[in-house]
Amino acid sequence: MNEVIFAKDIMLEQDVKKYFEIMLESAIRSHMTITTIFLKCVHSTSSEVNHSNVNTQITDFLTENIRKTDLLFQLADGEHWGIIFLQSSDVEANAFLKRIFHLLKKDSTLESRVALKASITEIRNNQINFEILVEKNKALLADNNQQQWWIEQIEDYRLQSIELVKVSIIEQNAIFRKVLETTLNSMDIANFTFDVTAYEDGYSFLQSNTYQSGHLHLIIMNDILPRNNGLEILHSLRTMPNEKRFLIYMMSERNSEIAALNAYEGGVDEFIVKPFNLRLLEAKIKRTFARYWL
Amino acid sequence: MIDLSLDFLLSVIAILFIVLCGFMMYIFYQRQSEVRFKKSRDIYLKDYSQLWYEYLFNNEIFSVVLIPRGKPQVQAIEMIFSSYLKNITNDDMRWKMKNFSNQYLKTFYENDLMNKRWSIRMNALYRIADLQLDELLDACKKLETTKYSKEEFFQLLKIYSLFQPELFIQKIKVPNANYSESEYRRLFVLLEEDTFMRFFDEFTSWSMSIQFAVIDTAAAKKNMKYIEKLEQLLTNENDEIKIRALKGLFEIGVIENINPYIPFVTSHLWEVRLMVGKIFKYVPLSYSYPYLEQLLQDENWWVRSQAAKTIAEDRDGLEKLKEFISYSTDHYAVEMAQETIMRKQGTR
Repeated sequence: MNEVIFAKDIMLEQDVKKYFEIMLESAIRSHMTITTIFLKCVHSTSSEVNHSNVNTQITDFLTENIRKTDLLFQLADGEHWGIIFLQSSDVEANAFLKRIFHLLKKDSTLESRVALKASITEIRNNQINFEILVEKNKALLADNNQQQWWIEQIEDYRLQSIELVKVSIIEQNAIFRKVLETTLNSMDIANFTFDVTAYEDGYSFLQSNTYQSGHLHLIIMNDILPRNNGLEILHSLRTMPNEKRFLIYMMSERNSEIAALNAYEGGVDEFIVKPFNLRLLEAKIKRTFARYWL
Repeated sequence: MIDLSLDFLLSVIAILFIVLCGFMMYIFYQRQSEVRFKKSRDIYLKDYSQLWYEYLFNNEIFSVVLIPRGKPQVQAIEMIFSSYLKNITNDDMRWKMKNFSNQYLKTFYENDLMNKRWSIRMNALYRIADLQLDELLDACKKLETTKYSKEEFFQLLKIYSLFQPELFIQKIKVPNANYSESEYRRLFVLLEEDTFMRFFDEFTSWSMSIQFAVIDTAAAKKNMKYIEKLEQLLTNENDEIKIRALKGLFEIGVIENINPYIPFVTSHLWEVRLMVGKIFKYVPLSYSYPYLEQLLQDENWWVRSQAAKTIAEDRDGLEKLKEFISYSTDHYAVEMAQETIMRKQGTR
């Protein structure tokens, strides 16, 4: 009977399991992507290879090559290694694998018959738990006919859930307010849905209490408004707890550097001088939301 | 005592009553007309604002229902167009508005131009410029043959500058009224590049207000094409022109050659020396330091302050100022350098 051998100082499956869900929930809340890699030796069953040496050498090699933010662990069967990459997508994971495969191929200190295969899982939703993750990856790497340096990919968890974004338009001019409302309502941004409300002055916005919800909140407002102007609203929002959830776009007729500087120093995310191109506004909003997920 | 018969008094009361009733009816009628006008305008806005949006921005087919039938609807369209023009830039939108206005609003504004009321004529002139109603250019020229106000002529100049720049230059050469610098600036800012450049070519032939407005407009446009023209004005005899040209060059913020500015370091005018101190911000400190050091020891506080500020803005500026403090014997300059260092370190 083969004894399962673990390298010293490596986290084991049961240890990681406890933290995985916390990491996953925290990453999703911060709009971050988690990517995992599972690795398996291709010729690990060969009798000519010393399993103990291989395990230790691969573990040491992986420990040396991961970043400080990555988490390396070994599965209970002793044949698989897992790495959790926080804030990284499959692009980085693929690049990592290419790099380590290249290093392994030319590393003369490792046992000559050692070769790896890997599976990548990019995760952007919480419809997965650690058991399923391990099970699916093990199943994917179970085929003994897979070639050396083979890379598989699980794509079932890469789509993030649709997130509701509150959108508030604060503009005095009724016609332009309607234009902005129509434009924002017709915008199609992947993985986000907009709940648009329009206000004619600052006071009615502050009275509405919509800004007190915990949703991501995009605010498009004029700098000059009747009853509580834009700068007052900006100050109120930026002094609130969890103010990072507000994305504030300020529109202004003042095409001056001082006005823009004051607005940025006050905490706006975008300062847009009127008149502006609606397509440009759309592009800016799309870019803002594209930055939310790696 | 005046003796008035009862009949007479009753007759006066009856006449006054009839006049009052007539006046009340007139007010009532006017109010009703106003309400009807507003209602009709608001209905158009409510029903067709979305259609306008679809036509102007989403390339939907033009619908005949958008064609105005009467003044209230024209006013509704004016409100939509002016709101769009004030807030949105889009070439396609402008082109569609221009075509629509030339086709369907032309007659309304042509009539307005002939109206006896000044405010209606002025409104028409504003709309002709905003909506680029070039087909009404002849009607505008005809307005000049009547008695017109200074404000109307200003709007006419604006219209000529948009539709017939040649005529604009002719008209501005023989002004029927003198306008302020800011008014000229409002006209020049709309001009096409080539037309505006002509003001530099014939610079000396213009009145002082126009000359100042040309320089300030070039500064506001921040176009590098004007650098050469503004540098040429640095040799102008008029000190105000020199100061404004320097200010304009500072606003544009690109200095390719330091040599034209060096003579101004020793200018007899502190305003000129101040502007040079500002402009040297755009020159590497290795080139400008000897001159800035000279300005740091200037007799004028503002010049000293600006020179110190300009030096401090460079990456090696604070070191230079500390070095200057160590060897300078000019107490005022040393004091300014120390103050600037403290201020700079305080803002970090």
